[in-house]
Amino acid sequence: MKLLDALSLAQQAPSGAAPFRALLACGFTPLHLQTFLAGHLQLRLPAQRVEIQTGLFGDLAGALAGIARGGCDAAAVVIEWADLDARLGLRSLGGWRPSMLPDIVRAVRERLDHLRASLDATGGRLPIAVAMPTLPLPPIATTAAWHASSFELELRAAVADFSVEVAMLPLVRIVSGQELDRLSAPSKRLDVRSELDAGHPYTLAHAEATAGLLALLLAPSPTKKGLIVDLDGTLWRGIVGDDGPGGVRWDLDGHAQTHGLLQQVVRSLADQGVLVAIASKNERAVVEEALARSDLLVDPAQIFPIEAHWGPKSESVRRILTAWNIGADSVVFIDDSPMELAEVRAAFPDVECLRFSGDPGDVGAAAALLERLRALFGRDTLTAEDTLRVASLRGAADAEREGTLTSPETFLQGLEAVLDVDLHKLPPDPRALELVNKTNQWNLNGRRETEADWRVRLDDADTFVLVASYRDKYGPLGKIAVMRGRRRGRALAIDTWVMSCRAFARRIEHRCVEQLFQRFDADEIVFDYAPTDRNAPLREHLAALLGDAPHPGLRLARSRFLSICPPLYHTASEAQERP
Amino acid sequence: MTDAHAHLVKCFAAVFPRLSPEEIPRANINSVSAWDSLATLTLTSLIEDEFGVSIDPRDREELVSFELILAYLRSDKGVS
Repeated sequence: MKLLDALSLAQQAPSGAAPFRALLACGFTPLHLQTFLAGHLQLRLPAQRVEIQTGLFGDLAGALAGIARGGCDAAAVVIEWADLDARLGLRSLGGWRPSMLPDIVRAVRERLDHLRASLDATGGRLPIAVAMPTLPLPPIATTAAWHASSFELELRAAVADFSVEVAMLPLVRIVSGQELDRLSAPSKRLDVRSELDAGHPYTLAHAEATAGLLALLLAPSPTKKGLIVDLDGTLWRGIVGDDGPGGVRWDLDGHAQTHGLLQQVVRSLADQGVLVAIASKNERAVVEEALARSDLLVDPAQIFPIEAHWGPKSESVRRILTAWNIGADSVVFIDDSPMELAEVRAAFPDVECLRFSGDPGDVGAAAALLERLRALFGRDTLTAEDTLRVASLRGAADAEREGTLTSPETFLQGLEAVLDVDLHKLPPDPRALELVNKTNQWNLNGRRETEADWRVRLDDADTFVLVASYRDKYGPLGKIAVMRGRRRGRALAIDTWVMSCRAFARRIEHRCVEQLFQRFDADEIVFDYAPTDRNAPLREHLAALLGDAPHPGLRLARSRFLSICPPLYHTASEAQERP
Repeated sequence: MTDAHAHLVKCFAAVFPRLSPEEIPRANINSVSAWDSLATLTLTSLIEDEFGVSIDPRDREELVSFELILAYLRSDKGVS
């Protein structure tokens, strides 16, 4: 992004849009860093109007205190050496004598302790992105530039210790030094003239790169949920139908190491809850034999479904999307064949199609693909639900098969379903907000929330949140539904209602509504409903409850609900304390 | 209107979005209330970036109007 683009983007915010207020806390004149941060955030949040607040020059601690005072949706904290001790900057003449070095190390450690306490005081109220010192140290140590002094190493150790501790604070994310090194060469970051002239030490390119990474941490893209992988030439080297299940390779000796590395990444993604499926033009029996090899780095139990046949790959993708019940825009497809990628892309333009190059002469491309997969599936934290996903999908497939053999009522009756309801608001459950921001089909109004907004709402005494967890004889689904609202006398005003598509067709939605009526002894529930392009399943449910097409502000009386609620076979319980 | 003139108008519009295209060629540090020291730094950095030139900080103090900046770019920096 060029400076002109950043300035122009800041002017493109839609009029009347909700503001996104970001605090930029840094000790230097924010100047271009502020402009680029505004530009990058505006690019990532086109429906909002980005506003950047800044602190006073040279007062990083004061700016950090501003985070605790509130009033912003997110904060970017940029720490440079001069913020830790002014003698480490070019604008101070406090002395670079060797005798001062121990005192500088001590001062830096003290300063970092103070900054850590300030960040701790924010209490996870809003997302905070932190950039650790990015500029070169001045020539203060007694060693030559190519000789790392104990002074420099101590400073870097202090910063590393600080980073590790701060990264564990809720909602605090640290800018990756490795990624910043890739985007902005360390030798091209410091603009001495700008630092001395204006107190802004960054070159334009470095300000742009730093701001871009801060924006990614403060307004992350939705992560992908599912990965569909081809086999021959992709997950392994060779043609399994020709070479046989024992003849395909993914090791160094077989000049196929990049295939093994891909398998390692796929396994890691599956472990973190990414759905993994196979789309291969092969005989199914041959594929199953190859997947049973003991040296395979992927766990076949984590792959569901396996589409192995001679039909078009797009047909496989269609079946996999149906089995997963997620949108095409949440899915990545990898194949070594440009033709197969083009065929899938034509049928599913929203699926991200990536080519895997198994060419031993082009291993760089394969390594870049692995990085790309990490970027697309990167997650802050892993929850218990992430590891349940594949098992619950298999369970759903089993249940569906059984459901076709018995009547729906008998099927539901025999599920041995248990619904656990948790009404504790604090500490905020990250899974609840994740569901709100990821769910489309069962979403009351499609509104997304920032972590800061969510936290503010939970602090409101009249606001309640219901988080429902479900399990049955086919296995646990984990936390699958969230309802949030406020009490208004004997009415409840619900502004958030989401439910995972994995939980459909089990009457969980009825049980949740029933629980609210009972728990709050309410006579009526008012839903802040709004139609979206994708919430048809919820719309149909509400229409059935009301006996009419749903509309914004629709009201459901308790008597009406009880008169039409079908039999509910779950055992329901309310958590007495946060599990 | 030359390329340099049009390009400079673009730069001014980005830094001073409230100025109309007609006002920009007449803009100077006294007539534009938003033209403070920070705006000067942003404007000169933007011009350096867009025109691929380096502006000496000592020259910056003299560049107080659209007209002067355009003349400086043409005469001192060879921008056409």
